[in-house]
Amino acid sequence: MSGCWAIFKREVQSTWLTPLAWILLTTFLLIQGGVFYSIVVHMSQVEGGVSGTGPIQAYFGQQSLLMALSLLLLCPALTMRSIAEERRSGSIEALLSAPVTSAAIVVGKYLGSLLTYCLMWLPTLLYFATLRETGTLHLATILSGYVGVFMVGAGYLGIGILMSTLAKSQFVALLLTSTFIFSLFILGIGEYIFDSAALRAVCGYVSLTSTLEETAQGIIDSRRLIFYFSLTIWALFVSGRVMDSWRAPA
Amino acid sequence: MIEAVELTKSFGAITAVRGVSFQVRRGEAVGFLGPNGAGKTTTFRMLSGTLAPHSGSVRVLGADLFESPLEAKRQLGYMAENAPMYPELTGTHYLHYRAELRGIPRAERAQAVRQAAARAGATEILGQIIGQLSKGYRQRLALSDALLGDPPVLLLDEPTAGLDPNQVLETRRLIRELSADHAIILSTHVLSEVEATCQRAIVIDRGRIVAQGSLDELKRHRGHERGRVQVRGDTQQLEAALQNMNQHGLDARLEATDQISTLEFELLAPGSLTEGVQVCLQAGLQLVQAGTLTAPLDEVFARLTQEHQP
Repeated sequence: MSGCWAIFKREVQSTWLTPLAWILLTTFLLIQGGVFYSIVVHMSQVEGGVSGTGPIQAYFGQQSLLMALSLLLLCPALTMRSIAEERRSGSIEALLSAPVTSAAIVVGKYLGSLLTYCLMWLPTLLYFATLRETGTLHLATILSGYVGVFMVGAGYLGIGILMSTLAKSQFVALLLTSTFIFSLFILGIGEYIFDSAALRAVCGYVSLTSTLEETAQGIIDSRRLIFYFSLTIWALFVSGRVMDSWRAPA
Repeated sequence: MIEAVELTKSFGAITAVRGVSFQVRRGEAVGFLGPNGAGKTTTFRMLSGTLAPHSGSVRVLGADLFESPLEAKRQLGYMAENAPMYPELTGTHYLHYRAELRGIPRAERAQAVRQAAARAGATEILGQIIGQLSKGYRQRLALSDALLGDPPVLLLDEPTAGLDPNQVLETRRLIRELSADHAIILSTHVLSEVEATCQRAIVIDRGRIVAQGSLDELKRHRGHERGRVQVRGDTQQLEAALQNMNQHGLDARLEATDQISTLEFELLAPGSLTEGVQVCLQAGLQLVQAGTLTAPLDEVFARLTQEHQP
């Protein structure tokens, strides 16, 4: 995996040197801040508090539709450039002629976008610092909530890298990733629609909203971890194979 | 040092490169010539391991480019056409990144970047943002990239495109210097560049190699070297000699004067003047001087790439 570290560093550096990351960060934090603010204001206005839930659970879980929408915006936008832009500009040639494997390129680019994704979530820790002023925080629940968004984001960024490898234009990569993630989201809704128990189980297994609701309650289900982990590995493996097919005969 | 064997590449129904084979050894710079769309860049991309051929192989210092790509690519310095780079980085950041990708140890990286930039004349632009550099400076930076770590095989695709005349001369001087202990393949359609820097040339047209050899060999290629005899004689003798030469298929031309006339004709074999001289003597002409004329490289190039047209 030699070269992976160099690609990872350049990916992070280039992302934050262009306006895209800052625009995304601002939009993302405006949405998240708005959601969190409305949750806290709503809960503070209900006399005696809202039973069975708190702002942390609501933020990570019950408002997961809003969370899904922000992930639908963030993940494709973070990965759309990574490989598609290199192909469009021609800089991919210098990269492919270097003594690095396709796996190192794909993993370096993926980890770069994953770090940027994590950095975008970092300021949301302040939300919980403000809650600390008014009550006690259940740190394990916060941690579990973050595990949820990390796990889902990791999977979706993997898909984003794959689509960026397949598409020559970053806009097409953005559309493909959004479509894929949105399809998974729609499939998840099937949990409440289908009659067949088996279909409901499958839909529940991939459901974004159920995943986030569970982790917001402090439940980390290994099946979901396995699903997102295998989704990531599959997407990165296919990306690597696609890249191999560009530069060596089958 | 680098060897291509039967490289073939198609894009859909179009075969861009077919059965291209050649070798370049240490100590020689080889010009890769061809008109636009001849398959030069496609061949270069296959040689650099950025494009998969449909068939054929490339070996770099014995390592197969497709079976042991990392080993082979460590020996290759590649400068792509148009030098695409990351516009948001500075020259230094870019070259450090490339040095790290090439596996140059951290302790040696700064030195390798300085040396490569100095050789390519890019030292003064290292601190500038690539997006703000002129094409000529970007070319120099791309050349520095190819020279990082001093790889023994260099693939340079149009290295002087966009350079000013002084930079062109400097780059040619550098290529001549490097060719002493490197194997260099230089793609260009500037023929004077090949004459100024290369010992050998490969001419490609419509995806096929139509000629390869030393520049002298190419110029002497059948039909590209002509015989020239200067003779004394009357018009009748000259006309007879001209007619006789053309009957032998020598494609002769006559430049008659009162004193010494000149007959130019195609040589049937490289370096052989015999047929033409014999015809002149048989016609009763008095021989003053006989010799050969080599065609300029651009004429050779034009003939080679036109005579293979369907």
